[in-house]
Parts: sequence; structure tokens; C-alpha cells
Amino acid sequence: MQMFQDLINWILGFGASVFVPIIMIIAGLIVKMKPKDAISAGLLLGIAFTGMSEVINFMRGAITPVAEAMIKATGVQLSIMDGGWTTMSVISWAWPYAFAMFPLQIGINILLLALGKTKTFNADLWNVWGKIFTAVIVMGTTNSVVLAFVVASIQIVLELWSSDAHQKRLQKMSGIPGVTCSHRTLFFSCILWPFDMILRKIPFLNKEFGVAQLRDKIGIFAENHVLGFILGCVFGIIGRYDIVNILKLGLVAGTAMTLFPMVTKLFMQALAPISEAVQAYMQKRFKDRELYVGLDWPYLGGANEIWIAVIAIVPMLVIYSFILPGNNLLPFAGVINLSLAVPAWIVTKGNVPRMLILCAIGAPVFLYVGTAIAPYMSQLAMQTGAVELAAGELISNSSINAPVFTYATQLFAFLQGNFLPLIVAVVWGTCWVLYTRWLKKEDALMEQEEQAQASSEIQ
Amino acid sequence: MKKLIVACGSGVATSQTVASKLSRLLKERGCSCTVEAVDMKSLDRYLAGPDVAGYVYITRPLKDYKVPVYNGIAFLTGMKQEEELQKIITDLKR
Repeated sequence: MQMFQDLINWILGFGASVFVPIIMIIAGLIVKMKPKDAISAGLLLGIAFTGMSEVINFMRGAITPVAEAMIKATGVQLSIMDGGWTTMSVISWAWPYAFAMFPLQIGINILLLALGKTKTFNADLWNVWGKIFTAVIVMGTTNSVVLAFVVASIQIVLELWSSDAHQKRLQKMSGIPGVTCSHRTLFFSCILWPFDMILRKIPFLNKEFGVAQLRDKIGIFAENHVLGFILGCVFGIIGRYDIVNILKLGLVAGTAMTLFPMVTKLFMQALAPISEAVQAYMQKRFKDRELYVGLDWPYLGGANEIWIAVIAIVPMLVIYSFILPGNNLLPFAGVINLSLAVPAWIVTKGNVPRMLILCAIGAPVFLYVGTAIAPYMSQLAMQTGAVELAAGELISNSSINAPVFTYATQLFAFLQGNFLPLIVAVVWGTCWVLYTRWLKKEDALMEQEEQAQASSEIQ
Repeated sequence: MKKLIVACGSGVATSQTVASKLSRLLKERGCSCTVEAVDMKSLDRYLAGPDVAGYVYITRPLKDYKVPVYNGIAFLTGMKQEEELQKIITDLKR
């Protein structure tokens, strides 16, 4: 065991940009990629790591001084950098056991399908990183690889059940049959749902209004380069920069926001052959079964309401970050917060007034959970060199998927006398059970209505 | 070179999955065309660009973009994938 641990440490010593590509090449050969393609994918992954590290450094160069200037000007301490979900995924992939999550997810999915405990085949193999992310947090609280995989396994099962539970509603809302959303971002719905049950009793809030035109008008503010520029300028103004430096910072921030997705794409390109191979294997195996295919959330993402909410959340996050006591996270690269907008859209069925209220209620959760998990992510980033950080510097994300669930994954902290995450886990679990039951009831009602309509049409 | 545009929320994950797969399939069939993944917020800007041969959607388009549209979900689920691929190839060769 000691030798194994030494081996792991030795490999870790290479730094993520070297060891992750090596693992990728080996994994590629296991799924029978041609050696030439496996090496190409491995290299691309190493380049993705190196590129991401550069972009994060570039962002640090811009954000760290202005964060300090803002502390001086306002007295508010926002010292945790917001690298967005892209940074979180990079750090997650740098976990030495990361690739083991592929066979684990597939194994559990096959087992549950065989036992008839789910109807979903989770085809979203990119978001395997979401399970790795959870494992990293569990590692941070327990330092146990076994527990990390246990909690990640629970998440895999919950994602399948969440896919089953949401399928009917999502089919109705998207108009696309046979698929469902297996992303854990839907876990947050059960926290928003009780609030929505209260809000829907207020008649004024049930008014529908068209937002297509509004999106056409203000949609440009959500484009990365524009949003980055505005945020940079706002930070510059708060930090009392002069006009030239405000504009300069705006452009640098816009550059960082534009480069993030460009570099993250490389990860996707590198991992595509593996996820395609796995998907083909699953499809062959379950060809004759009637299954829902679990996808990432974007197949739902065309709705104008979602993008209006996304734009509204940006100022909410920035204002909250300055006024909420106990928050240390300065929202930046993660401010396009779909982890809040998408669950709000699902719970309200796209009712804009209620969505906006739910976003205002939910936004603080993202800042607090972002603050809470920063040490774990930063520690792994430093260990593996996935992101260069100075001693004491912290990095996190202001739009963590399923924030309440993520907070709850620290539950083993009770061993050290901190019972809060365990309590949060119980609260989340209770909401989840009640919410999925309610979804079932809604589905049944919907079916009845449809049948009634069909029979009245016949008459 | 002709260009197909795929869009998702971030222009990174789902859209790049489809783009990678589609460009591999097109290459295998000897079709020269680049496939670009973009984010939905900037879709209008990209579709207005030069050489755009079509829009591969993951979420149903809500307005008319004046370019041919294709179902990108087929490439995620594998269902009707061949059908959609044939449609794209026929249009590209025209």
C-alpha cells in the first residue's frame, strides 16, 4: 500500500499537464483507440491544461490587484477568485483517480438498468467531471479515496433517479421525446420548489409575458466579451481606478472571459473519442430496450426565459457578494449562472416573475457554497499544479452546480465535530423526496388532462 | 471552407461533443466542412458570419435564421443519426 501511495505521489509530482495526458493515452488504448489517435488526444489534453493555466494566470493578473483596491476602497474582503466552472473542471480532471470515474459511472448505470431501478442511460460522459468534483470535496474533508468514490457513486445513482423523475416534465417543456436531463444541476430544483409553491399562490406573479423581444434587446449583455468588459469596468470603478485604467481593466476582463471557453473546448476535443467509444458500447448493449437518454442541460437551453434570468442574476451576484457577511468570493468567471437559471426555469415552468424571485432567493447560496469549498479546490490545484496559486491564494466558482448538494457532500465533517453539512444533507434529502413525489403527481395529472382532451376531441 | 455551427450554453461541452463527432463523421465520408461549437448567447453573431452552411441545433430554434437547420440531438443519442448525417452531406454537396 505504501509503495502504491509512493507511486501516486511520484506521478503527481509531474504536474497535471504531464500525468493526465499519460492517463488519457492509456485510457484511450483501453477503449481501443488507434495509438496515433490516443497520443493525439493525450497531447491535446496536456495542451488544454497548459492553456488553461495560462488563462487563469492572466485572469489573476487582472483580478488580484483590483480585488485589493476594492478592499481598500470599501473594506469588503473578497479574496477568493472566481474561476467559473471551467476552472473547476480543470482542477477536477487533475485528480489522480479521475479517469476511474468513467468505468464507475457506466458500471453503476448498467447495474441499475439490469435491476430495473432506472430507465435512463446517462449518455453525458463529459459531466463525469461533476462526480470527480464531488470526490475531490470528499477527499478534502475525509482524505479517504474510498469514501470519495462512495459519495460519487451515490451521486451517480441520484443523477439517474433525477433523470427518471424529471423526464415527463422536461419532455413537455422541450418538446423533445426520449431524452431527459441527467445533469446534477437539477438537484437544486428541490430547494427552489417549496419557495415556488408559496409564490404561485400570489395571483399577480402568475402572469405570463413574452420575453423574446426583450432577449433580442438585452441579449448582447450576456455575451462573454461584453459581460467581461462591463464587470471589469464596474470593479475598476469600485476600486477607484482612473478612467484609463478602468477601460484597460474592462478589456483585460473581457479577454479573460472570451478565452476561458475557447481553451476549455480543447478538453472536450481531447475527451471526445473516449466518451464516443463508451457511448457506442452502451448503445450496442441496450439497443432493444426502451430507454431515456440522459443529456447535459443545454438541450433545454433555448428558452428565452432562461437567458433573461441569466442576465438578471449577474448584478444580483455582484451586489450580494459585497453586502453578504461571510462571503469572500468575488464573482467573475462564473457569473453566467445557469446552475440557478435552469432549475428555476424547470420549477416554475418558465414563469418569468417567479423565476426572478427564485433567483434572488437562490443566489446567496452560490456565494456561500463557493466560499466554503474554495480550500479543497485550491489545495488540489496547488498539489497537482493544475492551476498556479500563490500560498494562501484561493480559487472557487460562483455558479457551482447543485450547490446545496455540493455543500452536503462534506457531511463527513461531523467526524471532526461539524454537523452543519450533515444537517444540510438531511434537509436536501427531505426536499428531494417530497419534490420527486410531487413531480410524479403532476405527471399523473398531466396524463389525465391529455386523455380527457383526446377523448373530447374524438367526441 | 463551408462551416456548420453547433450551439450550446457555453459553447464548450455539449456543442463541442456534437461538433467533434460530426466533423469526424463528415471526414470519414470525405466531406470537407468545418464544424464550429459556439455559445448560444452569441449564436446570432456566428450565424451571420461568412461561409455558414447550416445550424446544427441542440435546442429547438425559436426563430428563422435563414440557413438550413439540422437536429444535433441525433448525434448525442445516436437515434436517427445516420438520417441526419445523410441530410447534411446531401446539402453540403449541392
